[in-house]
Amino acid sequence: MAIITKQKTADRPAPLSETSVLGWLQKNLFSSVFNTVLTLITIFIIYLTLSGVVVWGYLDATFVADKRRECYDNSLTGACWAGVIAWLDNIFYGRYPREEIWRIDFGGLLLVLWMLPLWLARVKGKILIGASVIIFYPFLAGYMFTGGDKGWFMQFMVAGAITAFIINMTNMLVGLLKNTSLDVFLMQLFGQADAGDKTQRNILLAMVAALFVVVFLWQASWNVTEVVWTKWGGLFLTLVISGIGIASSLPLGIFLALGRRSKLPVVRVLSTGFIEVFRSVPLITVLFMATTMFPLFMPEGFVLNKLVQVIIAVILFNACYMAEIVRAGLQAIPKGQFEGAHTIGLGYWGTMGLIIMPQALKHMIPNIVGNIIGLLKDTTLVSIIGLFDILGMLRSISKDVPWVGLHKEPLIFGAVLFFIICFSMSKYSRHLEVKLSAGDKH
Amino acid sequence: MKLKSKLMTVTAAAAILFSGATIASAETTLETVQARGHLRCQVGPPSPGFYNLDSAGAWYGIDVAICESVAAAIFGDKTKLEIQSVSSQQRFTALANGDSDLLSRTATWTMSRDTQLGIDFLQPNFYDGQGFTVRKDSGITSALELKGAKVCVTTGTTTELNLTDFSRQNDLNISNVTFEDFNVRDDTYLNGGCDAVTADKSALAGNLANFPVPADHLILPETLSKEPLAPAVRHGDNQWADIVRWSVYALINAEELGITQANVDDMRSTSKDPNVLRMLGAEGDLNTGLGLDKDWAYNIIKAVGNYGEIYEAYIGGGEQGIGINRAGSLNALWTDGGLMYSPPMR
Repeated sequence: MAIITKQKTADRPAPLSETSVLGWLQKNLFSSVFNTVLTLITIFIIYLTLSGVVVWGYLDATFVADKRRECYDNSLTGACWAGVIAWLDNIFYGRYPREEIWRIDFGGLLLVLWMLPLWLARVKGKILIGASVIIFYPFLAGYMFTGGDKGWFMQFMVAGAITAFIINMTNMLVGLLKNTSLDVFLMQLFGQADAGDKTQRNILLAMVAALFVVVFLWQASWNVTEVVWTKWGGLFLTLVISGIGIASSLPLGIFLALGRRSKLPVVRVLSTGFIEVFRSVPLITVLFMATTMFPLFMPEGFVLNKLVQVIIAVILFNACYMAEIVRAGLQAIPKGQFEGAHTIGLGYWGTMGLIIMPQALKHMIPNIVGNIIGLLKDTTLVSIIGLFDILGMLRSISKDVPWVGLHKEPLIFGAVLFFIICFSMSKYSRHLEVKLSAGDKH
Repeated sequence: MKLKSKLMTVTAAAAILFSGATIASAETTLETVQARGHLRCQVGPPSPGFYNLDSAGAWYGIDVAICESVAAAIFGDKTKLEIQSVSSQQRFTALANGDSDLLSRTATWTMSRDTQLGIDFLQPNFYDGQGFTVRKDSGITSALELKGAKVCVTTGTTTELNLTDFSRQNDLNISNVTFEDFNVRDDTYLNGGCDAVTADKSALAGNLANFPVPADHLILPETLSKEPLAPAVRHGDNQWADIVRWSVYALINAEELGITQANVDDMRSTSKDPNVLRMLGAEGDLNTGLGLDKDWAYNIIKAVGNYGEIYEAYIGGGEQGIGINRAGSLNALWTDGGLMYSPPMR
């Protein structure tokens, strides 16, 4: 016999421990005498640490002062952020002339705007956008940062870069507003949507050429003043060195890895030798070699820009690590993939470019990003060979007469800055991994 | 044996090749600098009073002023100058390999450096000496009372060696606590990690002024070492060495003659003192041997002032100075009992 009630029993509320903060506390932190004691001790330790940090770094700290003595007059024990604040321009831009700093900001803004469409789903033509960044942006940025007289080559590249940028931005707007790519939109606009491929292409080429000519004539009318590289510094220099290092060492690393796995003995031996030599010496040795020893072997009076030497050293050094990461990724690809590629008639570059690399690179993201973060932090070594990168600048504050001895605050500031940069990179890589491996979920 | 002789031949050939390369480009340093359009002057990683960056990114300090004087002497413009900051491990190599034209960076003039490294030290622009800082409440008033003390010192310099020597000479059994960075050294001392700090006295005074309570500390009277800090150039180019040497002498001589940055124009046009007129190029031909313009010395004083002014600005009590008294020190003029003495400019 079953007892059936017609009325539904009222829902009971979830247990207190699941809904209220108090309940959660009771369940997780104060469930037994022992746990309660542990919790109290931990809270006390956290309080001690945090209160110390807050009192030192905020409550007792001095934010406005002209010299360190004034900080002391305010509080003998608090932090003296005033020194860091006074040096912010140096920390971010180095010795770059203050009235020209907008060029660095502008260069950075340009890069962000240029890359922005890559993150927007509605914008078409991502590969072209990516290629245009790699091909044109370095020249435009290089000119913005260096300045001086444009040679004919620079005029050409700067005009090309501005043209590419304008097209890119228009394409982004068209994509956002009309959800289509710029070329299709233009064809519709001129009623040529049904014209043959060849006609369409010719019209587009003519338009690009016309735009280029206009931009070329316009850019010939202005110059920015020259800023020699010795004035570069701070975070800007760190980002320039590591940016170029990252952008160049990845492709170079891919080629080295392919070379190391090549069936051609000369290529294989050279790649392996290169990787092993550069990987077996510390970065600082490579830097010293590049800046001190290299000039000894050169004809007298031949001076290669020290910054270029450093960048080359960083690229070569990191390419080796990248190569080994890429090689590891390649080895994780099952042999069947290679054989499959061969059976559909792909040659070596086809196999690598279309089948193997896309799969391998996806697996390598965590390692590559790890390496990139490492590179960013490694570039602070250049402060030892006399470039004033961000670390060099932070350490120089304690030698500036008004702030003599002020070294903790700058270094803490630097640590926070590095944490923000590295943590966002690591977060972004995590996001990329999830996005790219959407098809691999088991 | 055969292999060895072969190796010797190769080495010799290489040596000839390299020396040949250097001889072939017999351009003097002055010509190189003039052709380049600016002077490359080497300093070190920032050091208070001598060469440091201000918050606007400009270099200043007494050694930077020497760089500026030489640039002014050559170009009549102290801004035609590239300051190179080079680590102390690389400093002499960077001078020897032609990267720097001139080294002006608190390098102590010692015999081995002068005779073995292929460089020449010139007229010192600052005489320093090593000393100790102690806490006043320790009751120590003489370095000889530091028996068994822990002394904080930065590593890799003559300072550390001098300390060991001093301890041995006086049987003090001092234990060295070494640091790479002077800030950490001073922090350790302030937190009680050692009983005394040792460094060059100028640096001690500069740092002490920035301790939380400077009055709690004391620099002991003893001086452990002689530290003549002098600019240096590559060995073998005498004309270039003369230019740098006489640029420093011009600073000292100007102070002796009472020529300052402010009155140099007046002095040149109205002075009756033949010494002043000769130095400032209003008469005579002191410049010809150097290969510079007639008003080279005038340009120096106009650009940076005389030695006393530079000292006051960066080492003394000036706005950017580290507050070390000059009177009675070795850096006073010889007429005031110091060592700053210029041969006559005539």
